Amino acid sequence: MTLDLLAVFIGSSLRLAVPLLLAGTGELVSERAGVLNMSIEGMMLTGAFAAAVGAWATGSPLLGLLICVIAVFPVALLQAVLSNTLRANQIVTGIGINILVLGATTLAYREIFGARSREQIPGLSKWSPPLLGDIPIFGEAVFHQVWLLYAGLAIIVLTALVLRYTSIGIVIHAAGAEPRAVDKSGVSVPWVRYLGVIFAGFMSALAGAFLSIGDIHTFTEGMTRGAGYLAIAGVIFGKWTVGGTVLACLLFGAATALQFQLPTLGIDVPNALLIMLPYLLALLAVGGLAGRQTAPRALGVPYLRR
Amino acid sequence: MTDTMASVTKSLHGVLRPSVMISVAAVLAAALLGVALIFAMGVSVLDAVAAFVDGTIGTPYAVAASINRSIAFALVGIGFVIGNRANLVNVGGEGQIAMGGIAATAVALYGHVAGLPAGLPFLIPLLAAAIAGLLWASVAGVLKIKAGTNEVISTLLLSFIAVWFLYWCVQSPELLRKPMTSSATLPESLEIPDPTKLPLLTGDYSFPLHIGLPVTVIIAIIAAIVLAKTVFGLQLRAVGFNPIAASRAGISYSRMVLVSLAAAGALGGLAGGFMLLGDQYVLKDGFSSGYGFDGLVAGLLARGSVMGVIAAALLFGFLRSGGINMEMVAGVPTALVMVIQGLIVVTLAGAAFFIGGRRT
Amino acid sequence: MRDPTRTLVEPLLVLQGVTKRFDSLVALSDASLDIMPGEVHCILGENGAGKSTLCNLIFGVHVPDDGAMRFRGESYRPSGPSDALTSGIAMVHQHFSLVHDMTVVDNVILGQQSGFVKTGVWARRLERLANDYGFALDPYAKIEDLSVGERQRVEIVKCLIREPRLFLLDEPTAVLLPDEIAALLNVCRRVAESGCAVVLVTHKLAEIKKAADRVTVLRGGRVVARSDRPAEEIDALVRAMIQGDVKSLDKSAASALGVVEAGSDHAGQPAPTETPAQEAVQIDGLSVIDGQGVTRLDNFTLSIGPGEIVGVAGVEGNGQSELAAVLSGMAVSSRGRIFLGDIETTHLGPKEITAAGIGVVPEDRHTVGCVVEMSVAENMFLNRLEDFTSFGFLRRKELMQAARELMTRFDVRAVSPEVAFSALSGGNQQKAVLAREITLPKLLFLLAAQPTRGLDVGAVAAVYGHIRAACQDGAAVLLISSELDELIAVADRIVVLYRGRIMGSCAADPRERERIGAMMAGQAP
Repeated sequence: MTLDLLAVFIGSSLRLAVPLLLAGTGELVSERAGVLNMSIEGMMLTGAFAAAVGAWATGSPLLGLLICVIAVFPVALLQAVLSNTLRANQIVTGIGINILVLGATTLAYREIFGARSREQIPGLSKWSPPLLGDIPIFGEAVFHQVWLLYAGLAIIVLTALVLRYTSIGIVIHAAGAEPRAVDKSGVSVPWVRYLGVIFAGFMSALAGAFLSIGDIHTFTEGMTRGAGYLAIAGVIFGKWTVGGTVLACLLFGAATALQFQLPTLGIDVPNALLIMLPYLLALLAVGGLAGRQTAPRALGVPYLRR
Repeated sequence: MTDTMASVTKSLHGVLRPSVMISVAAVLAAALLGVALIFAMGVSVLDAVAAFVDGTIGTPYAVAASINRSIAFALVGIGFVIGNRANLVNVGGEGQIAMGGIAATAVALYGHVAGLPAGLPFLIPLLAAAIAGLLWASVAGVLKIKAGTNEVISTLLLSFIAVWFLYWCVQSPELLRKPMTSSATLPESLEIPDPTKLPLLTGDYSFPLHIGLPVTVIIAIIAAIVLAKTVFGLQLRAVGFNPIAASRAGISYSRMVLVSLAAAGALGGLAGGFMLLGDQYVLKDGFSSGYGFDGLVAGLLARGSVMGVIAAALLFGFLRSGGINMEMVAGVPTALVMVIQGLIVVTLAGAAFFIGGRRT
Repeated sequence: MRDPTRTLVEPLLVLQGVTKRFDSLVALSDASLDIMPGEVHCILGENGAGKSTLCNLIFGVHVPDDGAMRFRGESYRPSGPSDALTSGIAMVHQHFSLVHDMTVVDNVILGQQSGFVKTGVWARRLERLANDYGFALDPYAKIEDLSVGERQRVEIVKCLIREPRLFLLDEPTAVLLPDEIAALLNVCRRVAESGCAVVLVTHKLAEIKKAADRVTVLRGGRVVARSDRPAEEIDALVRAMIQGDVKSLDKSAASALGVVEAGSDHAGQPAPTETPAQEAVQIDGLSVIDGQGVTRLDNFTLSIGPGEIVGVAGVEGNGQSELAAVLSGMAVSSRGRIFLGDIETTHLGPKEITAAGIGVVPEDRHTVGCVVEMSVAENMFLNRLEDFTSFGFLRRKELMQAARELMTRFDVRAVSPEVAFSALSGGNQQKAVLAREITLPKLLFLLAAQPTRGLDVGAVAAVYGHIRAACQDGAAVLLISSELDELIAVADRIVVLYRGRIMGSCAADPRERERIGAMMAGQAP
């Protein structure tokens, strides 16, 4: 493989990994706090839809981004209320929300744009970091990316720092491992978990926005295509650490990039197999390829004070 | 005499218990919202409802088609309920249906079964379908036992993989695609030979209700009896509530997980088999789309009761037919039905808080 | 002792007519008491008397259904622990709420500051505080690496670092070594001397004698007695607590109250020197190494004769759980062999273990012993459902009938065998589990781990009655308990586990108490 192609491959991998990275980090925080957020997929789709429609309606991708973050809030709030206050089964609510959002966004899209429309939507611009963008061969392909990628990476680093060095990080860790400890220390467990879910919503919205107005500048029905579940698999594979999740999501992104890369290398693999690859990889990952997983102890269990 | 009265009243109480009422209420509320949405879209509610009714019970064909759909939902739903007894959440219905359909088509087309006597031409492909679904779900079962993998994620990922596998099968002439005579040849399989098609109950193609119906009813009855009256059902429940204590009592956790997921997969596969051999006859990309989730929601709605699954499956079967017709005639996208289903699931999940306790 | 001239000081905490119900159970009824600043106030009562509920109400975990509380002269109605903590009330719970994979200092910081964590500052404060009270604490140790006693000290420091005005401890000595108990009571005394009120919840009379300034006695959710001079009025207090005299209790039940009469049943009886021809149970070199490579059980070797009760003493966390898990077939040993008579049972799973005639009463009733959501009958025969099966179908009527008989025989009180197991009281649940295990077709070996934890005196007596009966029928019994008094009263001989190894063994004689206590603390005999 020539260096050119390698550069393109790395660049594509990064680009395709971004939604997973963002959603994965959000899900990580939510799960560390104890809420298994299956509705990541739905929240991403909400973000993708709202960003697209917002950008199209206002003509400004930035406003679209803002609108999408606002739009995801009620969805995240719904998940948070159901999971914490009403102590509903978190898996069921997640899937229910995903179905609801899929239907709602499809319906709304049809209403606004009519079926099969591929309206061009104003998209987010790209950006290169100063020196890196000028590296020969690699500079353009690898580092010239939608600016949301860099913003996202910054947020991810910030998240890692917060989890490790601040008291909120301690509280989140405790809420997922031993919520009683949090309660008996005078901090509200539901409050922490609401925070986790809403953060996951925020990150998913960004992830979705990246898909629609960052990457392909359009919206298609159900465009997230299971990316949310890949993000969840990434968190598991990454053993609930930021670093691990990032690596896992990059791996899934690279697997997705192969879909476009292998044909250019003349390697003839059926397209379907390549599309399948990230899911297969994710299955292997959660199937124990990475060793026995140790989830936060109270994950998925709504807290009840006794 | 009073004994029968007492048992009738007890059954009524059972049917009308709070969890059932909540399910009914959720469905009604969601339906009302659906109507409101139709109105908001500017479509004439009357037209939409007329199209809906026409699509569901307007013609004998419509009724049969609705019931045939319900069969698939019911099987997936029953599979879900069985798995859920052991506290397993099988979300991979769509993938299991896909694998079942693939197996059924492959065997029907290329398994040299058309010439066999006595029902074997369709029974063998059906069996193949069930086995395919069983094996597919067992992957998740094995992962759960060996690596503790959350079956929600694994069945879901397997579902995506299966759907793309289906895509590959109908796209490749080497696999199941019909011989390509031109570049415009559709990506689908050949039509299965007549002997492999499921016999119709009435023999009349304007009312194409196939044998899948009685088979599903029998399966439902067996499932209900097994869950309620057998030791296996009891042990499954024990494992669902407390796998450690069940293990200490000598109940094999591995066996229960494998058997229940395998059963769920087999039923899903069988559903795919019925769909292909019973009314579609040609394997196409995306044939399983949405059936998995519909079956899942039917399972959730039923709150653990097999009879509840039947009711919910019928509801969704008719809902889907009506939805398709509403789209064709009145221009209301089928996505509306999805919105209604999502609302039902979310409402029920939240409502559990108020009626305290039966696990969904 | 309190200064008698300070009689006009305002009470710190006053409870008036406080009532708390949980569904149909009245946990606390019309309770009134007051706590003075600077005193060690003991709440005495049997298991199930309502002591924990009382603490939880004070700490804001629950809200009273009736009655009022006043703290420092003002109306006190906490809606949660944060209100209690803000008011200056801190509590050490029976079941610690510490995050296992976090360090000591992080656990203490939890809920105490916001923003960037100043770990170093807190670590130093921690160490200083611990030193002040006379114990050592490594702020950077992870909770999962600490012993139970050390973890409790973390909980205590977590409370004291807030400089509370009222310090509640719920049954703190249940998990401690005899030495540690003395140290804890000292800490309580010193905290009280600094002006903070200490409320110590206990069911052990010895602790009352040593530490209490004043005592309130609870029975059946009601305040039934009070005392300003508890050391002198002990007998009256005991009578109030159990509605009877200690003397009238059988030895095992008395041990539950931390009272061991000098000269138990086994005094003067030599440790069995006559080894019967065939030992019932032989455990040889049993070792368990956990997933992290830590040795939890080290070369455990023991023989038990038929009809013999051997006690395993030791604070929990010293290998008892692993021992029980391996013996009951729930875990695999890394080395060693187990024989039941002639048959090797080392690698048998739970089903075969039961079939071989080994009954197990697990220490964690709710996780391992039963399925609380299922009915009493189903639980009592969960390991023997095949006996009620025809062609795969359950013979429900027979099951219920068999359950009724068993419930009568073992005095398991419930409305019917069809009610959910969760509806039974702790004592009845334990009796049901015991019933299930003891009535195995041919019980050769009974393993009972912490069988009387959380049970009231009546249930304790019943449990030991059945265990002794099983003994008389020839079963070998291994009794694991962190309650030394219980073992001395009931067992024939005792082995002591410390950090997974047997430190030594001796007769179950009250005169050996100190020696056993020393071994429990890791001192070789």
